[in-house]
Amino acid sequence: MRVEFKVNGKRHSVEIEAGELLVETLRRLGYKSVKHACDTASCGACSVQLDGLPVLSCRTFTAAVDGHEITTVEGFSKEGALSVVQSALLEEGAVQCGFCIPGLVVTAEALLNENPEPTEEEIKTYLNGNLCRCTGYESQTRAIKKAAEIRRGTLHRNANAQGDGI
Amino acid sequence: MLEVKEYLKPKTVEEAYELGILPNSLYVSGGLIAAQLKISHLERLIDLKSLKMDEIEEGEFVKIGANTKLAAFMKNPTLSKLNNGFLEKSAREIGSTQIRNMATVGGSMAFKLGWSDVITIFMTMKSQIEFYDGGFQRVPLENYIKNGKRTQIVTAVYLPKSTHFMAFEKFAKSTFDIATLNLGAAILLENGVVKDATIVVGSRPMISERIREVEEFLKGKELSNSIEEAAKLIEKVVKVGTDMRASAEYRKVLAGALLKKAMRRIYHESGIQS
Amino acid sequence: MRTSNAKVSSNNRTKFNVVDTPVPKVDGYALVKGKTVFTDDFNIPNALTVKILRSPHAHAIIKSVDASKALELEGVICVLTHEDVPRVAYTRAGQGYPEPSPYDTFVLDKKVRYVGDAVAIVAAETEEIANRALKLIKVDYEVLPAVLDYEHAKDDGAPVIHDEPEISGAYDVSHNIASHYEMHIEDVEEELAKSDVVVEGTYYTPNQSHAMMEPHTAISYFDPNGRLTIISSTQVPYHVRRIIRHVFGVESRVIKPRIGGGFGGKQAVHVEAYVTAVTLKTGRPARCVYTREETMTASNTRHAMRFKVRVGASKSGELRVIDMEGLSNTGAYGEHALTTFMVAGSKTLPLYNKVKAVRFKGDIVYTNTEPAGAFRGYGAPQGMFALDCALDELANKLGMDPIEFKLKNSIREGETSPVFKVMGEGREGVEQIIQSCKIEECALEGAKLFDWYEKKKKPRINGTKARGYGVAFAMQGSSIPAIDMGGATIKMNDDGTFNLMVGATDLGTGSDTILAQIAAEVLHTTTDKFIVYSSDTDVTPFDKGAYASSTTYVSGNATKRAAEKMAQEILKAASEIMNEPVDSLHLENGQVVSENGTSLTYSEIQTKLFYTFKQRQLEVTESFVSEVSPPPYMVSFAEVEIDLETGKVEVVEFLNYVDCGTPINPKLARGQVEGATAQGIGMALYEEHVLDKNGRMVTNDFFTYKIPARKDLKNIKVKFAQSYEPTGPFGAKSVSEIGLDTPGPAIANAIFDAIGVRLRKLPIKSEEVFFALNS
Repeated sequence: MRVEFKVNGKRHSVEIEAGELLVETLRRLGYKSVKHACDTASCGACSVQLDGLPVLSCRTFTAAVDGHEITTVEGFSKEGALSVVQSALLEEGAVQCGFCIPGLVVTAEALLNENPEPTEEEIKTYLNGNLCRCTGYESQTRAIKKAAEIRRGTLHRNANAQGDGI
Repeated sequence: MLEVKEYLKPKTVEEAYELGILPNSLYVSGGLIAAQLKISHLERLIDLKSLKMDEIEEGEFVKIGANTKLAAFMKNPTLSKLNNGFLEKSAREIGSTQIRNMATVGGSMAFKLGWSDVITIFMTMKSQIEFYDGGFQRVPLENYIKNGKRTQIVTAVYLPKSTHFMAFEKFAKSTFDIATLNLGAAILLENGVVKDATIVVGSRPMISERIREVEEFLKGKELSNSIEEAAKLIEKVVKVGTDMRASAEYRKVLAGALLKKAMRRIYHESGIQS
Repeated sequence: MRTSNAKVSSNNRTKFNVVDTPVPKVDGYALVKGKTVFTDDFNIPNALTVKILRSPHAHAIIKSVDASKALELEGVICVLTHEDVPRVAYTRAGQGYPEPSPYDTFVLDKKVRYVGDAVAIVAAETEEIANRALKLIKVDYEVLPAVLDYEHAKDDGAPVIHDEPEISGAYDVSHNIASHYEMHIEDVEEELAKSDVVVEGTYYTPNQSHAMMEPHTAISYFDPNGRLTIISSTQVPYHVRRIIRHVFGVESRVIKPRIGGGFGGKQAVHVEAYVTAVTLKTGRPARCVYTREETMTASNTRHAMRFKVRVGASKSGELRVIDMEGLSNTGAYGEHALTTFMVAGSKTLPLYNKVKAVRFKGDIVYTNTEPAGAFRGYGAPQGMFALDCALDELANKLGMDPIEFKLKNSIREGETSPVFKVMGEGREGVEQIIQSCKIEECALEGAKLFDWYEKKKKPRINGTKARGYGVAFAMQGSSIPAIDMGGATIKMNDDGTFNLMVGATDLGTGSDTILAQIAAEVLHTTTDKFIVYSSDTDVTPFDKGAYASSTTYVSGNATKRAAEKMAQEILKAASEIMNEPVDSLHLENGQVVSENGTSLTYSEIQTKLFYTFKQRQLEVTESFVSEVSPPPYMVSFAEVEIDLETGKVEVVEFLNYVDCGTPINPKLARGQVEGATAQGIGMALYEEHVLDKNGRMVTNDFFTYKIPARKDLKNIKVKFAQSYEPTGPFGAKSVSEIGLDTPGPAIANAIFDAIGVRLRKLPIKSEEVFFALNS
């Protein structure tokens, strides 16, 4: 069957199988940032935004997104520059292997759109479905808190202190 | 990829039902559970989202269309405020942001999963469920989970309006996990005395069930004085099983512990209210 | 020549320019943008999809395989069984050669030894066809009785798991013993008899899945010149190349792109042999991506271990004796069997060097379960759980504060332990005098920061909740001494940048970044001037790979040597160009500066050398192998809250005070400790393999196998001690593994402190806590 949808603003018209999952279609189209990691709705590495809201592409039928808009992590860096969230993750050492990061970025971007001033608890709650095996999450929480501050204009980029210690 | 021949988007509930009664058909709403099934010989997926059914209407009951996402429990102003924010607070315990953006109310009922938090929550609210199987019917959720059939299309859930204080408690190993046991309590109070109570235990690991002995026990009792006894009673009467997550013996303990937490929470909230 | 490698004592760090600063990861930009950097992201035209048919039985003989129906299916290219692959015994363990693991594995065998063991390799045009083909293969099994419980593997009459004649290196296959080890120093029985207080206990640590986010993945193809090329998500590209040659008799090139986490799980040959078999058979590119279920059930797990521990001390708190008798479950194959077991002793016992007598012995047994392998900590978390908890019990029995007791008996700078010499990995160890050890600072400053003594005065029970406080000490190593070798090549470009080519295998840890920092420090420039490439066996110099806490120390030292040699080359060239003696020149800000004030940029130097002056390419390669393995040290403090109504344990604070020498990159070092702590908390409270009665793993996905989620963890804190290891690059020791050693014991000790119940088996489950309290 044929479906049409937009990915990061670009229109795609694709022939798909009836039971095809969005992660499969997106990877086939070259959006390789969308990861197969657990395939049981249990880790968040396949997260994309569907009409602005984070969903799991490993459990979304492609047939169901006909006419909708999808945003992957590729959609967040304008003209090659990193988004505030991406920069903060990088600066805070919140990226280790990086495999969970695309899913984390699209979810965190949605968080900050919904809630520009999240508490630490709200950050963790919103992102609880995004597993990371490398970092222990602490650096990611610091990074997203910092990104929120930069987005609100209460903290300037690179104003952070040394990362050593507590 | 799920091996299936067709993905259909019927325009009316009648049309959907005609397709649904054909052999090897499966309805899809959020898609979360359907995509996880390992069914061979599946012929067609019938997407119910094209039927809309995502309205939230307030009348004698609050009507929630079956395709309403669980995220609406937190985001919809009507739903998030019900019973002192019961749905809003409970929703935080379900799945994850992504899952709440995908899973629908109807889908959460229709698959009748033993570990469902949503069923426990909605049974606690004494919901009725509306489905279509050639005609529309409305039955208590409690009956639906016992007798409902796969071919029936869940179209809406109706929540009766009430002034019950409600609490949902979930015990799980991880905060991103299904319940080892969950429990819902709805209690109507008059001067600190229980007028009416609904106590539901789910993920036993069998599907959610009302614990009527405890409901009856509580009626007429002063809430604050009956917590320990109610917990002892529920440990005695609740029917539970053993699986990889816990033994039956431990689930009984959890039922008691969660009931105590729920009753204490209600006691606390009712104090703030009055 | 001046470099910043100033001589300093272990107490004073020099001020560095690049080292000890939190520069962002050199590969971070690509990672946050979701670029195509992981193995499965590469489009290889015409690649076949490879799937593995796996055994549903824990132990069975394959009587016949009928693939005729599968081969009829359009798009199925081949089905390979044990008759189609070389019958060469090997070990999947990615270790230095010769490996201390038994050669007890075949790519495919006539016998299957666990649920998930490979039976056949299917290659098809698409994944869907390959999956359909799997279902069409008929296998006739003769099902054998299985050994699922490792505590019964040696029983008389237990089924023998390895009876094939071709294998070598196993200790006693007739009793399912893959390996055996024993050592002693002085007489433990005599010292136990002399001890005023003795504690005995049996401690269990569980299997644990690495649960790296990226499943095992490899692609193989012939390059245009017919050279077999393997792209693999591996920690050990050079060992993969060697093992593939051993099994298939074919030379290959192994490329490691970005790796989506490994933690030891990718220190083995998993997928590479299957894709190689297909490419050799068909001539076509082959791709194999494990499902999560395969990654969970058919790769590697942490060795589950049991230790019976006896420790004794004098009344005044002098630890006299440690006796540890262990049993380790290596599963169906003996990967890393001996070495992980030895590390359970060699990286724990030297911490308490004041003892008079030590004994450490035990067997590593085969069972019909998923093969165990390398996993971050590599035995030390298992050994330290037993040892630290036993010492905590002993301190309690002595009425001493555990910090005071452990500190009193632990090693200090300038001291040694005879265990260093006796125990290595798979063989004797090396003697070493400890040159940097800040365990005292870690314990005492950590206690202050944690508010240990004040907290310990508080009542433990408050309503339905109990609080408790636990401490655990740990050490690890930095490389396997006299075995691990790493190399680094630095090539200078005419734009002033350098290619830094290393065999060291960045698997997400940030090693590419810290190696660039080390080189930049030496060459007086910045990390952005380094184009780091790791790892490609046809391009980069040899490195043993990423394991044994060795990259910072071994590959870091190799990089430092290479950079120092490059500095000499640059100065020599500049001296010739500028016509000034080398002694009057020094490196500064990417330039060579003369005493008389003139200068040349690196770019100017290499441009001249390319085109106009004594033309040559500046390029150097250096290697490093260490004679010692300086341990990092750590003291961790756990505060737990226990729900007395349910037994649920929550870690409300976890403080790590770490001596890793100079942290080359403080943010990345901190991330290593935080991440290891999270995995340690997972091992202590969450992660568990559940098998059904037939040996099938029920916890075979992330829905059932719970690694800690974001909200499960809180307040993991990390503080670094001021330390400088004179043998390390710019004072650095290792930092990646040690964080996993302490959560188990610190949490178990804290639970005891809260409720007075000793739980000696991980993971500690709410149900067990509750019934231990209420029995």
